[in-house]
Amino acid sequence: MRRLPWTPIAAFALIVVIALLAPWLGLANPVSMDVPHRLAGPSAAHWLGQDEFGRDVFARLIWGARVSLSVAVAAAALACVVGTTLGVVGGFLRGIAEILALRSIDVLLCFPPLLLALLVVTLLGPGATTLIPVLALVYLPGFTRVAYAGVLTARSQDYVEAMRVLGAGKSRIMLRTILPNIGGPLLVQFSLAMAAAVVLESGLSFLGLGVVPPAPSWGLMIGAARATMTQAPLLLLWPCLALTATILVMNALCDGLRDAVDPHPAYRPTARRLLDALAPGLLPTPRAVLDLRGLTVEIDTPHGPIHPVRDVSLQVFPGETLAIVGESGSGKSVTSLAITGLLPGAARVISGAACLDGTDLLRLSEDRLRNLRGAAMAMVFQDPGSSLNPVHRIGDQIAEAIIAHRPMPRAQATSAALALLQRVGIPDPARRLRAFPHELSGGMRQRVMIAIAIANGPRLLIADEPTTALDVTIQAQVLDLLADLKRERGLALLFITHSLPVVAEIADRVAVMYAGEIVETGPTAEVFLNPRHPYTAALLRSAPVEDGPAPEGIAGVVPPPTALPPGCIFAPRCDRAAPVCTTTHPALEAAGEGRAVRCIRWNQP
Amino acid sequence: MSALITATGLTKHFPAGGFLGRGRAVQAVTDVSLTVARGETLGLVGESGSGKSTVGRLLLGLLPPSAGHVTFDGADLATARAGDLRTLRRRMQLVFQDPYGSLDPRRSVGAQIGDALSIHALLPRADRAPRVAALLEQVGLAPDHAARYPHQFSGGQRQRIGIARALASGPDFLVADEPVSALDVSVQAQVLALLADLRARLGLAMLFISHDLPVVRHLADRVAVMYLGRIMEEGPVAAVFARPRHPYTQALLSAAPSLHPERRRTRILLQGEPPSPANPPSGCVFRTRCPLASSDCAHAAPPLQGAGHRVACFKAE
Repeated sequence: MRRLPWTPIAAFALIVVIALLAPWLGLANPVSMDVPHRLAGPSAAHWLGQDEFGRDVFARLIWGARVSLSVAVAAAALACVVGTTLGVVGGFLRGIAEILALRSIDVLLCFPPLLLALLVVTLLGPGATTLIPVLALVYLPGFTRVAYAGVLTARSQDYVEAMRVLGAGKSRIMLRTILPNIGGPLLVQFSLAMAAAVVLESGLSFLGLGVVPPAPSWGLMIGAARATMTQAPLLLLWPCLALTATILVMNALCDGLRDAVDPHPAYRPTARRLLDALAPGLLPTPRAVLDLRGLTVEIDTPHGPIHPVRDVSLQVFPGETLAIVGESGSGKSVTSLAITGLLPGAARVISGAACLDGTDLLRLSEDRLRNLRGAAMAMVFQDPGSSLNPVHRIGDQIAEAIIAHRPMPRAQATSAALALLQRVGIPDPARRLRAFPHELSGGMRQRVMIAIAIANGPRLLIADEPTTALDVTIQAQVLDLLADLKRERGLALLFITHSLPVVAEIADRVAVMYAGEIVETGPTAEVFLNPRHPYTAALLRSAPVEDGPAPEGIAGVVPPPTALPPGCIFAPRCDRAAPVCTTTHPALEAAGEGRAVRCIRWNQP
Repeated sequence: MSALITATGLTKHFPAGGFLGRGRAVQAVTDVSLTVARGETLGLVGESGSGKSTVGRLLLGLLPPSAGHVTFDGADLATARAGDLRTLRRRMQLVFQDPYGSLDPRRSVGAQIGDALSIHALLPRADRAPRVAALLEQVGLAPDHAARYPHQFSGGQRQRIGIARALASGPDFLVADEPVSALDVSVQAQVLALLADLRARLGLAMLFISHDLPVVRHLADRVAVMYLGRIMEEGPVAAVFARPRHPYTQALLSAAPSLHPERRRTRILLQGEPPSPANPPSGCVFRTRCPLASSDCAHAAPPLQGAGHRVACFKAE
């Protein structure tokens, strides 16, 4: 458990203690009248003045807190317990329990809450003890609905199924597994209900349906002060202030508790610094479509800045596929996001240059970058389902992509879309133009994404794990399509993947990344046949090969970007590490024709 | 080897969804029969929607079958009494695919591993902590990790925790549902080595569900290939991988990308996509994508037949 929210706890405890200690605080009698001094202002004897019957306002405020708070807390607690029980039982057991629990609550929801409260108070008669069940009834549906929705989400989680596999009974799963996981929203609901109950109690008392005069309550005080508002406006202020302060403290308390019971560390984004002055990049090689030089990305975290991508340089030539391969945390996706200018808010490029046909993408304004994206530079992502707009037809989305960069009549754009669908191998393209994304399979959607990507004749196509979500027979089709397009249009294809076999199938050259750096690069066939970096070699040994030896894992884990080792970043896991490797950070050095490796021992036996 | 778990004619149709149930029932699994012997690993491969995960859950009794039955160590799951079912539960466990979703984020790792011990009252309370520590060590984690929460671990470590949780009740049979497909390749190999080691040391029988053929080749003794809810081919891994007899298995093996493209079998690129399990083709379900299909294939579903190496195809030589 994390730190408890001590400030709101102390504030809430103070309010409760003051209210509980009211009889012993030596306050004036809250109901004894002093009519000659009615509406008197603050004085030494009456700190907050006297009300319309000359009663001490300070005493009434504190005695009123007893009534208002106990009603609110009791009502919210009652609603929380009953509502959560109904919601959890209904959501977990389903069937008849669900119908009984949820439908009865739905009936309650049909009444406006104030009307419902009025109805019950009228039937049972006013008074603090009636108020508790009345308010509980009003806030019951909220708790049931929140709990029910939480259970529906939680019950489909694998960890709930894991408990079933272990043979746990239903009550155990509900109490020990599901309840803690819906605790956060319930606490928020509790704070809302409690705050609202204080207000509604005041409202009902104000209407004469809650606490019976002369017993003090904040609502009664507000009601009475309203009548004399013009003569003594301060009388209205005190109960309202007390009400506001109490509600704020309750909200802060519940928020704090919710965070405290959540074992996950909270992420607090720090303010974004102004984009640092960029170091000028080196002159680009004229032939490369994409020339990336010395890219370094920084992300602010609560533990200080981290650099998920450091000094990454690579070139992609026309008609060539360069694959960036690496495991999670290697920085391969951050690299592609930096090139396309789509880095998330907390991340920024601190040095380097990325030239697309001579234009440095990292120094372009967002407007010019937007013009390039989808035109000269196009992207295909892993999840085609979330990249397409679910409410628009496929044909319209492709036509839209064309018109955004090349204004033309709608009909012409639609016929271009038809030709594109045909090109990417979608059967019956005329009919598919009118289909919605959900009517297509994952492989078809990825083909549509590719059609959109090539719609404006890009020079560079960045494909980030485009086949990872696809089945192997569909993956083979999509890889073939990408290879064909690259050949036929002279595309430069930057292919980002974690899969070595896919690299072997599609890439002309490969760059292997590890913990934010390129550790080895070169022609794919040569790198895979004769890896020069120990990480590349270990990675190849860990990939299962059908007719090869059993795969070997790499001991240890990728170092977190917050704690990179001082020397070679792979040294702690490297089977060839020498003492010097833990002190000297190796540079990426040339290692034969078109190859480079970041290891000081690559040419030592 | 004696059969530990046997499924006979297992069928699972999920009821129709849609407004007023007017959609078609999804035929997730149709007429699947298989056995897993003690200490044996059966690999179950297939693409998404082939029903392989559903078979795993049917074997564990987590889903009631629409037809057919499952026998575990001689006891029929469908007719077992509640008390017996609890004991059976203890003896069969599941390892999940998603190392993030399968652990309760709000409870310590030790508490979750200890659940099986307390649910089945396997050990007195005082002995549970040492047992949890021993389980953590068994899967290559440190005993003091028990007090930590899932988010403090990497994906590979979480998967080890999931395995420790599954082993806590001392099972004889483990269903591993894509246990390594969410992991990085270097971590994948570590977890596979752990599973192979545990299997050998504890004599576990395993149903290893995966879409990754090379992984199955290394871990399984036998392999069953599923397509659209049916088993297309089944046999010893060496035989199936070296001489696949069903055209689907042949296509699947040739489509898998290989580290050595030059050594790969001739690629059979399947056309189109798998049909919907709500509306499977008549006869052989693979015939709409099959390069060998003829009109005979539309009339009847080919039975899975053969000795040792079984195949469901009229055209298999």
